[in-house]
Amino acid sequence: MLSIKNLKVAVEDQPILKGINLDIKPGEVHAIMGPNGSGKSTLANVLAGREEYEVTEGSIEYLGQDLLDLEVDERAQAGVFMAFQYPVEIPGVNTATFLKQVIGSIREARGEEELSAPDMLKLIREKAKMVGVDQSFLRRSLNEGFSGGEKKRNEMLQMALLEPKLAILDETDSGLDIDALRIVSDAVNQMRAKDRSFIIVTHYQRLLNYITPDHVHVIYQGRIVKSGDKNLALELEDKGYDWIKEEVETVA
Amino acid sequence: MITEVQDKNIARFGVLFSEFEEQLNGQKQVSAHNFRSKAAERLATLSFPTRRDEDYKYTSFARLLNQDYTFPVEAEISQEILDSIRIPGEEAIELVFVNGLFDESQSKLDHLPKGLTITTIEKALEDEATKGFAEKHLNENASTDNPFVVLNTTFAEGGVFIHVAKNAIIDRPIHFIQYNTATEQPFMFHPQRIVEVEQGGQLKIIDSFSAAEGAVYFANVVNVFHVHANAHVFHYKLQDESETAFQVNNTTAFQEKDSTYTNLALDLGGRIVRNNLNAIHQGENITSNLYGAFNINGDQHVDHQTFIDHAIPNCQSNELYKGVLDGKSNGVFNGKVMVRRDAQKTNAYQQNAALVLSDKATMDSKPQLEIYADDVKCSHGATIGQLDQASMFYLKSRGMSEKMAREALQHAFLIEVLEQINNEAIQQRAEAMLYHKFGK
Repeated sequence: MLSIKNLKVAVEDQPILKGINLDIKPGEVHAIMGPNGSGKSTLANVLAGREEYEVTEGSIEYLGQDLLDLEVDERAQAGVFMAFQYPVEIPGVNTATFLKQVIGSIREARGEEELSAPDMLKLIREKAKMVGVDQSFLRRSLNEGFSGGEKKRNEMLQMALLEPKLAILDETDSGLDIDALRIVSDAVNQMRAKDRSFIIVTHYQRLLNYITPDHVHVIYQGRIVKSGDKNLALELEDKGYDWIKEEVETVA
Repeated sequence: MITEVQDKNIARFGVLFSEFEEQLNGQKQVSAHNFRSKAAERLATLSFPTRRDEDYKYTSFARLLNQDYTFPVEAEISQEILDSIRIPGEEAIELVFVNGLFDESQSKLDHLPKGLTITTIEKALEDEATKGFAEKHLNENASTDNPFVVLNTTFAEGGVFIHVAKNAIIDRPIHFIQYNTATEQPFMFHPQRIVEVEQGGQLKIIDSFSAAEGAVYFANVVNVFHVHANAHVFHYKLQDESETAFQVNNTTAFQEKDSTYTNLALDLGGRIVRNNLNAIHQGENITSNLYGAFNINGDQHVDHQTFIDHAIPNCQSNELYKGVLDGKSNGVFNGKVMVRRDAQKTNAYQQNAALVLSDKATMDSKPQLEIYADDVKCSHGATIGQLDQASMFYLKSRGMSEKMAREALQHAFLIEVLEQINNEAIQQRAEAMLYHKFGK
């Protein structure tokens, strides 16, 4: 599904990622952990196509295509979805209208049949209920005045509607109370499927109590320094990141 | 009589006036013509503004004035075009003008609601009940300093007089449908409207200006509103003319106590568009709402000049003007608010914002507040920015194309203005026009 090879990324000539290798198979959930400033959000942003991040070396292959060659909207149409750490507020863009537009354009790009207006509305209502987004939010401007938790739920709603093949959750759990966290993890768990993969970028192990990852990777100083199964996350919770930092520095 | 005319463009209009009078034959005797003659004399003493005049600093009329205008040429409007301008779901009273000439057969003036009179200014001058009122305003228009208003009075024919009786609530909007065709030579026309809404009356006017692509003409509009005590007037201009057209739109609202006048202008077309909008307060507790939205590109130029004269205490004014500028287009907002010494407890809000999408587009914003009272709330703000890149990325990351995302953000920017239209059908028509403009 996704194959990242020797990925090196710089921001304003400052190297951030220094050679990431990662293989994700269909249906897998990978958690990317690491201390602040390690480069885990950079990885998420490069996958989504943010322009400020300059890929200096390496490749990303996604479903047989060169992901780095695709525009931001083409990536979305090809099934890449990013749930943002800080979803942007866009006054004047009505949430319901926005959802209808993006469902329409994604379906068109995927060669799927156009949904009738009532079917579209039904679909949005159904998924909104699933992720606990109140109907009244659909009438408001996109994310405007939403609380942190409401914004994250809105991201989950979009994920549910766009049915991606690769979903990247960039610190979606940060700042969430336990109820909101359950909603996010329920959404992910309900959407887990054999042809859909997830990359869950998180600073905290807590989310992984609700979403069981197949693989856990630790990024430190721009490299994946440790990979394991869900037990690695538990170990990190107990011991923090310091032992990993020490290990890396001893090797160096 | 020999008058030495300084301005060569004024002189050309003088020649046109002589031709105009020759065509009139017997109609020279009607009282309406007295005002034209009076205006023509006045015009000869004036000159058109140049960029040296403070109020015209950012707008040059040279291109508008240098055309060799003829009088309007009769043409027809197709049913398809007419339907595209109509407001779906509204039983509007329609006055259709093609190339500035009234098309009675296409207009819908039957079964007017009780309390509403629509007639010509010529007829209003012959009716004892309306004569004095019409004369007063025509005299003012014939003698003002604004050469465009005087020019309008010089050539106006078949101007429209609207009267709303006391406490008459006119639910059906009056829709002026003005459509212009591409003609061999540029033409000019001078729509003239005098509107009186008596105490407690209510009226909604839609002012549509559309044109065939490539049509070159000069629409020089004059509107006078007299909004009596506790009366309410909503006036929406929806303009998507050809990008080779010129429009000068002069609107003055005289407001009595407890009245509301709301003016909203959507400008999408036009090569040079100048809106002169004045609200004159003559009583307490008056509200004036002045709104404008424009979305322009290429060589288009849209200029809003507003003036609110707060002369009486306890009145309020709200101004919101937003524009999106691409290509080499220019936008101007010059908002004057006068708060005279007696006008205590005035609330005056003014906001102007622009999105400038290209390096070659410019926006000139000039708020001018003159405040002589000491117990007032007045605010103004002007912002000029670009499309927010974080928002663009967000929308594209959901699969929207660059074009779709840009349009969504432009629409989002202007919708704040269009939402001020207190009628869903009219707002939808305005939004549809905006999307049509995006497609160009």
